[in-house]
Amino acid sequence: MNRFMQELTKGLWKELPPFRLLLGLCPVLAVTKSASSGIGMGMAVLFVLTLSNMLISMVRNIIPSKVRIACFITISATLVVAVELLMQAYAYPLYLQLGIFVPLIVVNCIILGRAEAFAAKNPVHLAIADGLGMGLGFTMSLTFLGSIREILGAGTWFGHPVMWDGFQPFTIMVEAPGAFLCLGLTLAAMNYGTHRQIMKKSREGSEELPASPCGGCRACAMGRNKD
Amino acid sequence: MKSIVQMILVLSLICGTAGFCLSYLKMTTASRIESQALTFVQGPAILEVFRDADNSPINDRRTFPLADGRTINVFPSMKKGKLVGVALEQFGSGYGGDLGVVVGFNVANDTLAGIGITTMKETAGVGTRVKEHAFLKQFPGHALPVKLRNDGGDIDAVSGATVSSKGVMGAVDSAVAVYKELKPLLLETWK
Repeated sequence: MNRFMQELTKGLWKELPPFRLLLGLCPVLAVTKSASSGIGMGMAVLFVLTLSNMLISMVRNIIPSKVRIACFITISATLVVAVELLMQAYAYPLYLQLGIFVPLIVVNCIILGRAEAFAAKNPVHLAIADGLGMGLGFTMSLTFLGSIREILGAGTWFGHPVMWDGFQPFTIMVEAPGAFLCLGLTLAAMNYGTHRQIMKKSREGSEELPASPCGGCRACAMGRNKD
Repeated sequence: MKSIVQMILVLSLICGTAGFCLSYLKMTTASRIESQALTFVQGPAILEVFRDADNSPINDRRTFPLADGRTINVFPSMKKGKLVGVALEQFGSGYGGDLGVVVGFNVANDTLAGIGITTMKETAGVGTRVKEHAFLKQFPGHALPVKLRNDGGDIDAVSGATVSSKGVMGAVDSAVAVYKELKPLLLETWK
């Protein structure tokens, strides 16, 4: 159970997909024009990721390793098409908003990345926890970016006006360059925060290694050694 | 050898299951997706054309075959149980691709009941102005044939957006042709 919680929560902060692992940036940049489309895209990825992790973990022992990528892709592509059909049937306005980025979930590197790096090597319940955690982290990040861009770029949040009267929206924030600006500033702020935290810890005399430039996620060997 | 057989078997099994699930899902959602698409894409334009219909033009739609083998959805507008108008969607070629137009007709005197734009990829701020009231208001009540002023008619094109305006007229023209072809059948269907 402990392990389950650990796998679940790592995606929420420690290995937050778009901001820590920098995975799946295509939808992060493209569909975060508003908080609601961010949350919609996030939910779609959450659904696909959890189910694909679960299925892949279930069949991991019968898949020959030479064709594993083909199998993973087939499973995730099936789920993506299922999401697309369901979204068309039950949430058509959202589908119109997300457009081409729904089918593109299949090439989102988070899906294949988690399948290859985690689900193919771990039992089903841990794979589900990993998918849920990563998916929730992804949804949170997209909603966060979408909120910032919508508030600054349109003066609304989930469609409700939140800024004062006479506020002039920065239209650039809802255009493509705004996505890069927002992502860059968010990453900078997060790295600055992590850096300060580590510096503080090492000043207090703990046995931490010197801070690494990437903020100490477990995605690379440098960060992993530190745990 | 054994591993090759296993590979083929596993991959075929996974693909087969995937294909089966998806075709099942597609079948079960098809009708719902169609009505959703009609509600959110054609729906607003149709309601704009038939503002005072007693019925729901989308729910009462029928599909008719055309002479050239295609089929087309026709949306009727009723008042006190009598057919007053029909609407159908046709496409013209605009500046950025296909331009979908819902064209409504008054069946009593063969005039236009109005038109509404459904889908377009025109230049924002230029071609998209064909969706504005100033352009669309020229159509309700207009007798056939409908032509742009350039072509000897009396419809003013949106200035600066001649291609988009012509795209709309192209769609209207083909809608008129379909309407003329189907009219006897339509009157037969909804009495």
